[in-house]
Amino acid sequence: MTWIAIAGSAIVTYLVRAFALRVALPSTLPRGVARYLDALPAAIIAALAGPAVLVPNSVPTRGPELAAAIVVVAVVAWRRNLLAGVLAGVAAVALLRLVLAA
Amino acid sequence: MLTTVLVIGIAFGIVARQSGLSPAEIMAMSLFVFAGASQFAMVQLFKDGAAWPVIVATVLLINLRHLLMAAALRPYFARVSVARRLAAAYVLTDEAFAMAIGWFRRGRTELAYYATFAVALYILWNTATAIGMLLGPSIGEPRRFGVDFAITATFIAIVVLGVRRGSDAIVALAAAVMASVLAYVGASVVAVVTAGALAPLLVLFTRGEPAA
Repeated sequence: MTWIAIAGSAIVTYLVRAFALRVALPSTLPRGVARYLDALPAAIIAALAGPAVLVPNSVPTRGPELAAAIVVVAVVAWRRNLLAGVLAGVAAVALLRLVLAA
Repeated sequence: MLTTVLVIGIAFGIVARQSGLSPAEIMAMSLFVFAGASQFAMVQLFKDGAAWPVIVATVLLINLRHLLMAAALRPYFARVSVARRLAAAYVLTDEAFAMAIGWFRRGRTELAYYATFAVALYILWNTATAIGMLLGPSIGEPRRFGVDFAITATFIAIVVLGVRRGSDAIVALAAAVMASVLAYVGASVVAVVTAGALAPLLVLFTRGEPAA
């Protein structure tokens, strides 16, 4: 299962890249299509992240995940640094869970 | 840029290992898929127990943006042989594209620059993955130290770094909220990914130029 998913993902990723360099696309994609493709990756990734922030383990968050997500947004927007944001978010969620559990 | 690739690659190795994937599976992802954001998405979907067609479709959606690069690169690849183009495609990433297009637009036409940079990124990404993968098990009990949140934090950081205008932020928020509501009412991961695929339709109602 895992290996089929990895092989399939490798194949579709290569096909898109090969298509990009090999095939003669019109020199400009329709504007709507271009804007849709431009916004697509961030939207998919946001959709994957959303539930882990708002409904972790299928129950609404008691706060730590949402607060930590806001910390990540703030740190990354300020420092433009992925690692700083992730470390701050992980520290925030660990600390807040500890406080809530006490 | 190289430091960022190194750091994200190490982070990928750590979260992938923590999620229970085997070293061979993790290295295969970096060696053969070689696409940062998609690889993190795959780890999340493996954890959610998604079926393989869902995983492949999600990776396809995330990587469709490479088609945007085609129009920009085409003039510079017009006289390159098909075999070389197909080889160049294997290492096409956002970073390699950004460096190459800057170089081409300054009047350099040789592909050696693109090839050197793209291959260096490939080696760096795989080395970083291996380092993270080896570090992974030494980081103790995931939930206690918030490590289970690392992949979510990475997603959020990737989205924030990608936001260039107001409409990007609205699309990302809409996708996150729609996906959460769907997950809460017990919808499958297919519905969650679909929410992500539908949210960018919002940009069609706003004005502005695509960045690529």
